[in-house]
Amino acid sequence: MPKLVLKTFSAAIIAALLIVAVAGGLLPSQAFGAAANDAKGTLVMGTSADYPPFESVDAKNGGQYVGLDIDIAKYITEQLGYKLEIINMDFNGLIAALQTGRVDFVMSGMSATDERRESVDFSMIYYSARNSIISTKDNAYDSIEQLNGKTIGVQLGSTQDYFAETIPGASLKKLNKIPDLVQELKTGRVDALIVEDAVAIDYVNANSDLTVEFLPAEADENGYAIAFPKGSAIVNDFNGIITEMKESGKLDSLINTWFPMQKETEGSALGLNLDFSILKDYIPYILRGIYVTLLFTIVSALFGFIWGTVLSFFKLSRIKPLQWFATVYTSIFRGTPLLLQLLLIYYATPQLINYDISPLMAAGLAFGLNSAAYLSETIRGGILAVDKGQQEAAMALGIPYRTMMIKIILPQALRSILPALVNECVALLKESSLVSVIGVQDLMRRASVVQSLEFRAFEALLFAGAIYYVLVLILTSLARLLERRMRRSD
Amino acid sequence: MIKVTDITKTFGKTEVLKGITTTIARGEVVAIIGPSGSGKSTFLRCLNLLEKPTSGKITIADTEITSPKTDVMRVRQRIGMVFQHFHLFPHMTVIDNITFAPRTVKGMPDGKARANALSLLDRVGLADKADSYPSRLSGGQKQRVAIARSLAMEPDIMLFDEPTSALDPEMVKEVLNVIQSMAHTGMTMVIVTHEMKFAREAADTIYFMDDGRLVEKAAPEQFFSNPQSERAVRFLNQVL
Repeated sequence: MPKLVLKTFSAAIIAALLIVAVAGGLLPSQAFGAAANDAKGTLVMGTSADYPPFESVDAKNGGQYVGLDIDIAKYITEQLGYKLEIINMDFNGLIAALQTGRVDFVMSGMSATDERRESVDFSMIYYSARNSIISTKDNAYDSIEQLNGKTIGVQLGSTQDYFAETIPGASLKKLNKIPDLVQELKTGRVDALIVEDAVAIDYVNANSDLTVEFLPAEADENGYAIAFPKGSAIVNDFNGIITEMKESGKLDSLINTWFPMQKETEGSALGLNLDFSILKDYIPYILRGIYVTLLFTIVSALFGFIWGTVLSFFKLSRIKPLQWFATVYTSIFRGTPLLLQLLLIYYATPQLINYDISPLMAAGLAFGLNSAAYLSETIRGGILAVDKGQQEAAMALGIPYRTMMIKIILPQALRSILPALVNECVALLKESSLVSVIGVQDLMRRASVVQSLEFRAFEALLFAGAIYYVLVLILTSLARLLERRMRRSD
Repeated sequence: MIKVTDITKTFGKTEVLKGITTTIARGEVVAIIGPSGSGKSTFLRCLNLLEKPTSGKITIADTEITSPKTDVMRVRQRIGMVFQHFHLFPHMTVIDNITFAPRTVKGMPDGKARANALSLLDRVGLADKADSYPSRLSGGQKQRVAIARSLAMEPDIMLFDEPTSALDPEMVKEVLNVIQSMAHTGMTMVIVTHEMKFAREAADTIYFMDDGRLVEKAAPEQFFSNPQSERAVRFLNQVL
């Protein structure tokens, strides 16, 4: 019997890996940002493309990355004779991506602070930004002193985050995304935001109820620079081109194209004043996220189910080490946050086994491994609930253990746990939105891209919510059909 | 055919079989009777190793099946068993129930397995139920399918564990008829039953068990008309 179990086990692993590999190959590389940083002649740039006009996704036209940083990066790499590849991820994951060698450099409106200099190298400053206070017109603040005792919103890990830490008497609320911060301000959960000037202008233009106050620039403290891994050999090359751009006026002309002075917009979204027509041009972009979300859900559900079944067999096995393994496995994967597992797998795999795991594959693996831990318990329960006589009847007929488990016991177990399995799939589908932290462009990620482009909070989210709901409805009706098919024998 | 030498079986601290020794000849039909808890079913289940005897030896056709070296699966393929609660596979049709083991265990081609199954179904009078699911059958029909399922493996020995105890009274007859018809085919059969009339008519030998022991072993006429032990007398007085 140990041999059989091992065979099942390895077959399941291979199948799962194949599925993940095939799925990874199916996706257009842009959808999950391949990191081919070893190939000569290509540089991989990390950015958090939700920060117009520095970097954003041109969701209306095929989802290209656009912005000042992108243009500068394109210019520099072209001058140096490299090809440029861009990976989009959360801002607070960028430093980790540099340190783990996932990207060769980072341009993301990142200020060269002393804290960051401890972990990465910076180029010279290419843009100097000013901090600014955004507040509501009804309750406006125009100096740092007034913020004493107030709640201030900042983007987690941003320069403004570090700056706001120094404001006396203020308490901070740190969020990942600026659109979320603006919403917090509008609903009165924070009193003011500290963001940088260019961003502030856009939001104040788009929201007539907001006002901005620029703070004096602090020399080069707030300047934007390109970040590199410690000891990177290409820093000097980049500095050379930046100097040249400054002297030739190329830099100023790029900046001017991306910072049009005060555009006038007609008064904008107050509260839940919805205007879904803004989504019109983004619909294809958002819909492409369905493919990513579904593919991811299917891969992780399948992998989780196969591996979960193997684990449940381990738990029911008479071989002690297999039992221990499955029990410890379940305990670890149920006992730690999924997000943590996801980040560990994505960032640690390249360092541990020198394999450059793609974000989608890392996500499929993490979700599959995690889901297997839960499913193994469900499946074990289902197997135990099958009448003991079934096993005896099969044994009396001389049917081998494995055939009995797979052909006789498991089908009956599955029938009784089908509702629980559907629950797990639905949960996977919805939790898949977590994968955006490592840059997979799923439905949720695309919705928040549109959110940040339009400076409006709800439309894209509600649209994505509706899509998730429809997907879950489809999934549950399919499950109902399957259940009816399985109940044929009743 | 079957040689049992001093087997015992202990569950925890309870000694269910207290040393049973007997020999069953090829083609012999044995009916085991006795009060509940006397160890009848446990003894039967030891014969195909669904229970592993705590001590003692069982030899079937010159193979010592209690030896650790014996391939239990192979032994069981030659011994059919019919259970009180049928244990048909509920997710398979009647025909699939019957053909599953011959196809997967013996590697019998689908066509041949199906033809065999249909002729067995015909023999138990259920040819028209081939494509039904077990849930559509009455208890008596289920038990007849279960018998056909065991026979499909072409066993040398058939074990019956109270095959009619879970049936409504009007269905007992149809099942007993099938079993009785098998008794004339030369099949070695061991039947645990509470049907005294059936035991008397169908069996070559009656085993009377009480308290984990094989108390009496006799031809039906002799046992029912002239039981030797006091316990058998008391038992027969209660059931007849």
